[in-house]
Parts: sequence; C-alpha cells; structure tokens
Amino acid sequence: MPTPLKELESLLYRLITAPSGVGEGLASERNLPRTGLGAIVLGDERLSAEERADIYANMYFYRLLDALKEDFPATRKVLGDDAFHNLVTGYLIEYPPTQPSVAECGRFLSRYLRDHPQSVDAPYLADIAALERATVEVFQGPDADALSAEAMRAIPADQWPALKLRLHPCVQVLDVEWRVADLLRAVEEGRDWQPAARGAAKIVVSRRSGRVRYRELEQSEYRAIDAARTGATFANICDLVAEHSGALDPVAELNRLLARWLSDAIFIV
Amino acid sequence: MKRADFPFLGFGVGLRRPHYSHIVERRPKVDWFEVVSENFMVAGGRAIEVLEDVRAHYPIVLHGVSMSLGSTDPLNRDYLKKLRDLAKRFDPAWISDHLCWTGVGGRNLHDLLPLPYTEEALSHVVTRIRRVQDTLERPMLIENVSSYLAFADSTMTEWEFIAEIAEQADCGILLDINNIFVSAFNHRFDPNEYLDAIPVERVVQYHLAGHSDHGTHLLDTHDHPVRDEVWALYERAIRRFGAVSALVEWDDNIPEFAVLMETADRARQIYDAAARTPTEQSLDANSTERTGKPALPADHRA
Repeated sequence: MPTPLKELESLLYRLITAPSGVGEGLASERNLPRTGLGAIVLGDERLSAEERADIYANMYFYRLLDALKEDFPATRKVLGDDAFHNLVTGYLIEYPPTQPSVAECGRFLSRYLRDHPQSVDAPYLADIAALERATVEVFQGPDADALSAEAMRAIPADQWPALKLRLHPCVQVLDVEWRVADLLRAVEEGRDWQPAARGAAKIVVSRRSGRVRYRELEQSEYRAIDAARTGATFANICDLVAEHSGALDPVAELNRLLARWLSDAIFIV
Repeated sequence: MKRADFPFLGFGVGLRRPHYSHIVERRPKVDWFEVVSENFMVAGGRAIEVLEDVRAHYPIVLHGVSMSLGSTDPLNRDYLKKLRDLAKRFDPAWISDHLCWTGVGGRNLHDLLPLPYTEEALSHVVTRIRRVQDTLERPMLIENVSSYLAFADSTMTEWEFIAEIAEQADCGILLDINNIFVSAFNHRFDPNEYLDAIPVERVVQYHLAGHSDHGTHLLDTHDHPVRDEVWALYERAIRRFGAVSALVEWDDNIPEFAVLMETADRARQIYDAAARTPTEQSLDANSTERTGKPALPADHRA
C-alpha cells in the first residue's frame, strides 16, 4: 500500500525542517515503518535514504540563510556569522516561511529579536532588523508619482494652503528606541560601525529613482508627516512646523523641510 | 496544446538583478528573457520598472518557482491571481513552473521537491494543472526538476510520469537538459532514454544550466558553466525535438552578462550545426522538408 501523498509530503517536510537535521527528525517520528526511511525513500551504496533527505534539509536552511544574509547585512554584522547562523536556526523554527516569495522570509525577524537572548548584549538588534526589513519592503512597495519641485511650482500659490499632501504609498515611518540609521549606513558603505546609541527616533524610509533612502526625522517634520497621513492641508503643516521647529524664521524652516521632503520623494498629491 | 501554439523565441537568458542596468542601458542582442515570476509579484519599484523596459524591447516568458503543483495543500488562489495579473500586464510568450511540490501544511520550503511517480500523484497534478490553466486562461509548461531522492512507491519512471501528465493535462513541457543530466547521475538512469520518451510536440522550451559535482551526487546549483556532457545531451535533444526555444539559467556566482550571451550563442551554434547534419531521428521528429533542417520560424534571429 503506497504512502498517501499528503502523508509523504508532511513527513518529508518535518524531516527537512528538523532543526538538527534529518537524523534527529527521524528519531522523533513515531509512525515510520520498522525498516525506517528506507521503506519510503530509496537509498543506495552512494547515499542512504537519510543522506538523500539531508541534501534537501541543507538546501532548505542555507537558501533561507543566504536570503536573510542579503536582507539583513547589519544584523549579521552586529552578531557575527556564527551567531547569525544560530539566530536563523531558531527564527525558522518559530517563523517558518509561508509565502511564495523568499523575500518574505525575513518579515518577522525584528519581532523575533525583541525577546531574543542576543538582544541582551545588543539591545538595538530588533530596531536594526526592523529598519533593514523596511528597506526591503520600500524597495518593492507601490509606485506613485512623487511630488516634485516642478509639480509644486506649477500649482497656483493661492491653492497651496488647501493642498493636501499625502504620503507616498511606499513610504514607511519607523518608531525606534535606538539610533540605528547610522549603523546601517556604515555597514552599507563598508565603514567601521559603532553600536547604536539609545534614543527614541523616527526614521523615514522612502524610495527615489528605484533607490531606497532612510534618515531620522526631525521632530517638526515628523509631526508634519504624521499630520499628512490623516489628511492635513499644507496650511496645517505650515502651522505645525512653525509651532514645533522653534525656528526663528518659520518660512525659511518650512522651505528647508519642503526641499528635503521633495528630495526624499515622501509626498504625493 | 501543441508546440506550434507557441512562438519560437530563439536563445535567451534569465533576467537577473545584477544585469538590470546593463540590459536597460546597453540593450544587448539577446533573443528573449525569462523572468522569475515571484520576483515581480510586487507592488512596484525597480524590478517592475526594469521589467517594463525589458518587455518593451524583448519577448519574455514568466517562470515560477512556487506554484507547488504537486503539493497536497490547496492551490494558492492569491498567488495565481497575482500571476494572472502579471501575465496580463506583461504579455509573456508563455508561463511555466515546476513539476514538484514546494511546501505543505501552509509552509513553504522554497525548494523544488520531487513527487512519487504514482497514479495518485499523477491524477493530483493533472487536476491542478487544469485548474491553473483555467485560471490563467492559457496553457502552461511544466519543467522537470533535478532530484536527489526517489520514492519506493513510484510505479513509473520520471519520463513516463511527466509525459503522461503533459498528455492528460494538455500542457507543454519545459525540458531542463541539465536537470535530466543531474537526475540521471543521481538515480542512475540513461538520460537518452528520458529524452526518447518525451513527446516531441509537447516540448516548448529548454533550460540549460551548470551544476556542481559533490562526488556522491550532482547538485543543480546554476553556478557553473554548462558542462560538456549537458551540451552533448542538448545536441541530442535538438535532433529529437527540433526548433525549441532555449534559455540559459545562472543564479549563483552570476558572471558578467557577456558570459551569459556567449553561452546562449553556443546554444545557437549547436542548434545551427545540428540542423545542418540531419539524422533519421531529426527527420522523423520534425516532419519538415527532407533536408533534415528543423523548420525555423520567421522571427528566428540566427
């Protein structure tokens, strides 16, 4: 009687994803035939059934490890290769991939790091992973024509106060407890990195011409961007900047911030 | 479905991220590109921008790795909808995926796992391919995978299995020449016997790639040049199947684009040479004029 397909696939899945390899997985299987895996998977003098299954187990882990290395270079740099390898081993047990795209496998790494023992020595790990994940998501986020200086100038000045600026649909604003933006930039640029300092910050992650950019937001611009999310007008945003920037010349301050927002492709209209 | 339903695209290469700028800026003389469907099932960004540009200048086909045709999980409707939308937007010459399963129980292994060659698996996969083709509103191609294990329950060979599925599901075959070679070594079968059993009219595309030798087994790593033995098998395939679009895959240790072009050119040269030296098989296989030269479609760029 052949093993039903569903049973066969489920068994192989368990063996391939067993954290310490197929051998350990086999030891915990209760319903295998007495002849073991060899009754299901053919072995020969070159490779046993278990060794053949192990090929898939290795490919499973290393494919995902490689994908996560690519998406989380700073997390890996902070941890070092061995610790990152161990981190991924545990992560895949708790958050095994469920999506068709391998790019989604790192979606929960930051969450996993929040309570991870590695975060005791490097408590900024969850924030750096969150920033790295955000760059992945923004890179492939929705397209829209960002507001440009030219487009802004083309709008009659008397219409500016009522103008509603909306966040570009791919933009993300992260709320972090550690100043991780400099750390990521140092790793990306191949420079020596320093541990992130403690300090609450808002980081905006945006995309312009296909390239992802990120930086900490100043308090006044964070309030402006936050207001834009809920439908504030340009006049409301001007008031917020004037109120929270502390600048002596609010108009100059607004011009400075507006230039940054346009450069970072943060808004659409 | 028959091969004549699909265009002959010539000799193409896989579209990979390290080559995006080169392709967009230099417009290399390549017949066509194959794109990994999942890489473009995204909302926007650079990948979509590049694909729009590439599609404006080259034919493309969509090649998936996560349809999981052999899984006992339900077909992923959201995935299929995204694939259909992608196809509507970019109008590929065809869509392909693998004859395998990639996960079960809602989990994804991100690998191409072989099926047991049983009546149950055959019936299961045929039903699913038909559903997929209905959803996509077009026939699809299924690709043979490299495998490192085989099942005691199998009651037929891999080539019997894929040929029967293609017939029953009325789909095309993407014949991966390197995968045949790798699996032939790993499971000790004759790759020529495999080729000889595949129905000629079902084969719409070839894959050519490199593999790595681990002594006890070969791994389909797509990180080496195509081996001479695989080129030889490709030449034999040409003699049997005639004018079939060929595609060079390279996914790891990706070289300069020029290396991919050279490999695609070698595929073209072997094809041209095979077309000039007829065999009884090629005459039978192609049913073309008695010169033995496979019929070349008008858009062939050689």
